[in-house]
Amino acid sequence: MGNISIIVRLKSPDPAAMTAMSTFRRIYPETCPDSLERYDYWCFLNPCLGRETVSGIVSRYHDIVNPNKQTWSFIDEFSKPVDRSDDRMVWIDVRVTDRVDSVSENWTAILRRNRCEVEGVLCSVLWRFGFASGISFDNARNRVLDLTVSTRRDHGLLANPVSQKIDLPAPLLI
Amino acid sequence: MKSVPLVAVIQFPGSNCEYETKRGILNSGMDSCIYRWNQCRELRDSQPDAYVLPGGFSFQDRVRAGAVAAKERIMDLVFSEAAGGKPVLGICNGAQILVESGMVPGWERGRIESALAANHISGRSGYLSRWVFLHVAAKAQQICPWLGKTGNGIIPLPIAHAEGRFVFSEENRERASSSAALKYCDEKGIESSDYPVNPNGSFLNLAGIMNDRGNVLAMMPHPERAFWMWQLPPWIPGEWGDRRDQSLRSGSHADTKGPGSLFFMSLADHFRGER
Repeated sequence: MGNISIIVRLKSPDPAAMTAMSTFRRIYPETCPDSLERYDYWCFLNPCLGRETVSGIVSRYHDIVNPNKQTWSFIDEFSKPVDRSDDRMVWIDVRVTDRVDSVSENWTAILRRNRCEVEGVLCSVLWRFGFASGISFDNARNRVLDLTVSTRRDHGLLANPVSQKIDLPAPLLI
Repeated sequence: MKSVPLVAVIQFPGSNCEYETKRGILNSGMDSCIYRWNQCRELRDSQPDAYVLPGGFSFQDRVRAGAVAAKERIMDLVFSEAAGGKPVLGICNGAQILVESGMVPGWERGRIESALAANHISGRSGYLSRWVFLHVAAKAQQICPWLGKTGNGIIPLPIAHAEGRFVFSEENRERASSSAALKYCDEKGIESSDYPVNPNGSFLNLAGIMNDRGNVLAMMPHPERAFWMWQLPPWIPGEWGDRRDQSLRSGSHADTKGPGSLFFMSLADHFRGER
């Protein structure tokens, strides 16, 4: 069946994205992105009935998506960033995942216990960087890596590589 | 150094233990002042003898606990003062800031070599608030100015955190034991990696780590919340439970110092040159 991923976003502006952006502006004025968005990323492992199973889980468990304050979509339906101020912007996604993660383990246990017909779930955070037009994709990608991986106090912010791993999903085709 | 040592307590947006921490320092015979994160000049001009980063939720723990505060300009000063040998203590969120600043374990100057990751407990996740028992590593007691008076006993202290699991990269796992300062144990002093003795899955049962020189200590438990004996719950067993009962019987309960005072009294002794 394969894995099916969803993204969850706040209906209001994400405070973590705003704080990260203001930190970038302060400490990396030369390379900071022009836009930054943050999403919860849930990957459901081998759901028995595919999207139907995932939709059922999401509608049942409001700890995964609280409809009062969050919206969600399947990852392949999620291509357009919220910020569409410049249609020629370059967008790069980076996913940050804890190497050991109680949240994923416990949700896997809950879903199995309640016979949700899914092998497990993996939780991550998806950050979406937007750079104004005029920057090459490779240059933008390198900037994202520099800004994300925190190796020193004055280098990187979004992921501590000792406890977290990052991956860059396929480039966006917007 | 001043005739009465001045210990600076750094308040970030979201810190919430600065006043208890300051009171603990004052009640240990030292002077203390709270400096906000944007009072860099005032902090520099006052030339503190030691620094404490208190607990709380700096910047609401956004992005990752301690990560944003670690990038603040005021940490440049704390970083350079620590490199010069001044004592620095990070409690809970303060410990997360020290880890994200690369000040502990500090094997390579400024490099982030450890993490305080999310608690890893089977069957539950998120925030954990409870009392734990600790023992102090022998080397740490000798070299760390915050631990000189802690003795060989078992120390009960409260923890309250969601991200308190010390993690090291694979290549540094053996080296990590040399940075151990405080370790989780049971009330008899026996270590275990199982919950609840080790409450968060911390590597090597670490509750606190220090730099090689010993002047920078990052600890997850809250000593300021156990400064007085009356702050101990009645079920605490062992030496501190006995002391608590004794202080109740003698009517000195309100004025008797508790296990958390040892950390601040150690620093006062350090400045008096008594160790």
